[in-house]
Amino acid sequence: MYPDPDTDPSIMISVRNLSKLYKDFIALNRLNFDVKRGEKIVILGPSGSGKSTLIRCFNRIEPHSSGSLTINGQIINDHTSLPRLRGMVGMVFQNYNLFPHLSVLDNCTLAPRLVRRTSRHDAEDMARRFLTQVNILEQANKYPIQLSGGQQQRVAIARALCMRPDVMLFDEPTAALDPEAISGVVSIINDLAAQGITTLCVTHEMGFARHIADRIIFMDQGCILEITPPDTFFTNPRTERARAFLDQMIRC
Amino acid sequence: MTFPRRRAFVRQCLRVVAGLALIAVPMLSARAADAPDFVRDGTLAVCTNPTLPPMTFVNGTDTTAMAGVDLDLAQALANYWKVKLVTTPMDFVGLFPSLAAQRCGMVISGLIKLPARERNFDAISYLDTALVVVARAGTPPITSMADLSGRTVAVQSGTSYAARIAREDEALLAAGRAPITIQQYPTEDAVVQQVLIGRVFAFASQDVELYYRQKQLHGKVSVILRSDYPEYRHFAVYIRKNAHDRESVEAAIGTLDANGTLAIIRKKWGIGTSSTQAFAQAGHVPAFRWDTFLAALTSPAFARGALITLAVAVLSHITAIVISIPMAMALNGRDSILKVVLRAYVSIFRGAPTLLQLLFIWNALPQFFPIFREEWFTPFLATWLSLSVNESAYQVEINRAALSAVDKGQEQAADALGMNRRQVYFHVIFPQALRIALPPTINEFINLLKTTSLASVISLQELLSVTQIEVARTFEFTEYYAAALVYYLAMVFFFLFVQKRVERRFTWADRHRASANVP
Ligand SMILES: Nc1ncnc2c1ncn2[C@@H]1O[C@H](COP(=O)(O)OP(=O)(O)O)[C@@H](O)[C@H]1O
Ligand SMILES: [Mg+2]
Repeated sequence: MYPDPDTDPSIMISVRNLSKLYKDFIALNRLNFDVKRGEKIVILGPSGSGKSTLIRCFNRIEPHSSGSLTINGQIINDHTSLPRLRGMVGMVFQNYNLFPHLSVLDNCTLAPRLVRRTSRHDAEDMARRFLTQVNILEQANKYPIQLSGGQQQRVAIARALCMRPDVMLFDEPTAALDPEAISGVVSIINDLAAQGITTLCVTHEMGFARHIADRIIFMDQGCILEITPPDTFFTNPRTERARAFLDQMIRC
Repeated sequence: MTFPRRRAFVRQCLRVVAGLALIAVPMLSARAADAPDFVRDGTLAVCTNPTLPPMTFVNGTDTTAMAGVDLDLAQALANYWKVKLVTTPMDFVGLFPSLAAQRCGMVISGLIKLPARERNFDAISYLDTALVVVARAGTPPITSMADLSGRTVAVQSGTSYAARIAREDEALLAAGRAPITIQQYPTEDAVVQQVLIGRVFAFASQDVELYYRQKQLHGKVSVILRSDYPEYRHFAVYIRKNAHDRESVEAAIGTLDANGTLAIIRKKWGIGTSSTQAFAQAGHVPAFRWDTFLAALTSPAFARGALITLAVAVLSHITAIVISIPMAMALNGRDSILKVVLRAYVSIFRGAPTLLQLLFIWNALPQFFPIFREEWFTPFLATWLSLSVNESAYQVEINRAALSAVDKGQEQAADALGMNRRQVYFHVIFPQALRIALPPTINEFINLLKTTSLASVISLQELLSVTQIEVARTFEFTEYYAAALVYYLAMVFFFLFVQKRVERRFTWADRHRASANVP
């Protein structure tokens, strides 16, 4: 049913029977899917359905309980080197979580210098390149507190990109932003695919999901109910629960 | 006492010391007498509380140079046994515990021979004396202790006078008369001060003290009663109970009395030479002597005391911070046995008085672990140890609050970037927690700086002990207290200034000021 990730180089992430338990609560229930290299996946689902838990398994901020997870040909388990995994898989949070005591530039250079032992000079060069890409270079010497929410989220994306990841995870990146700020962040996420970065994004932005996603994953109660291209999902959802979810989204 | 007079006095003392040395020389050539067991490794260790002139006190601005009848006696005994004398100054309440803890072999500290004390220690008397009641000059003499009915009398705490006067009170109450109110002060000079400033009617003390004070007090007090209490007749040396040691100390003092050594010592300190009534009326005494104040301020003794205060406070607080950071992290973490243990630690050390902790570490610890009886365990180390432990119990709360005030998302973001635990804490969490912890930490430090003054009870020569010793010597308390105040305030203001400077580095937390400091 699924191709072998070891032999198919076009597959970036391979998820087999993946489960996650908190004590005896099943947060993720035997999930199976593949993500192709450079693919853009949007994960939808009601609150508490396990979306954050799923993407946190990919950088092992939440270790999975059973099943197997392969990223870029590497099996992710207790023996995985966390600095290497997290260099390969970047993450952006809903609340940006910039380091408030460091300038924008230092936010971007801290991890490359500590984790990758990049020289300050090289780290700053790279940071300026990504800050340019997210249109925020002119704020490089400011502290996070001086920036708007949208600007902070763009810095957070640049900070993650500075680790040169192959996969980017976004957990509701626009949920805390006002409408004008959203479009800036969305267009940056949209650009990432052009650089071949595989993207998984949890969001409630339906327009965003419809336009950027190659495929939509719809989750409920720890299970995946649908994995389909956005056209199919939005016009003709197969499950009753997806339909109810969409109805509710449109009504809001 | 002005400077030239003081110098003349010191010169006079030196001459007498030279005389004593002449006596000592022939004894050195004699066969070493049968020494007591507590004289170990060729050393006689003596504990004394140098605040009772002329028995034992600090005679000059160098707080390490003690003098008096007791010190001369100790030296004469050491010479007699042909051993080296080591004297340790300490607070009065520490004397007997130190003797019990074998920190010294002998206590010679102007102590009266009392049956209550002899229950636990052996006492050998070396000087006759009497209890006297002293009031401000011009007070008419009284005829018995009962005449003090309804009055307030000051005594030094730790002495037996309080208990003796309390027995007097029982008799007064039985006769339907008002009792004598007793106030206790830690040092003899503080006792005298109460009479001088008029807070109490009189003080009770030994006559020898009065002989000596005549010079200092300029006739400001006079003896109103020589008591006939039989129990205040003898000054005694105290040792741990041991029949052989007792005999050998008795023999030694007997010899020193027979060969005239004790008589020379008595003469040197003016004991028994003048009548206690002979207080000449002195002239006008200024309220505040600026020269004394300035001399105190610039004296090496005060500078050294302040340095010790500062050093022990800084070292203790740094140690406390270092141990309290992992403690705070454990307390913020998951429930475990460790957490229960840490909670108990915090409660115990916050609950027990700091003074008690100091006394415990200095006096009780050697009973359990003899290693703490050794010489390396100095009052400085003991203070450092006990204040570190004590302070860590307070600092842990500050650290805990500061660490939990850092947003959980910070740790997650740092984790997600691949940083290891050490990097997460040192580069992301600690710098943010520091901003929150700094103001209460500086407050704690200022408290600690002041708390160090408690260490005088375990003989640490910090700023307040130096002050008390100087006051005991000169009675110019306003001047010396003022000098100590200046030192304490200077230190506190310095650290408040440091706090302001460090806080400037935290502008990143303030939207309006942040821009000013970014390069
Ligand atoms: N650390 C945790 N301990 C216990 N339960 C958790 C924990 N994290 C998440 N959960 C539970 O797992 C379920 C999925 O959570 P989450 O992945 O955050 O959902 P979503 O992101 O889709 O809103 C929720 O019911 C949540 O309560
Ligand atoms: Mg979520």
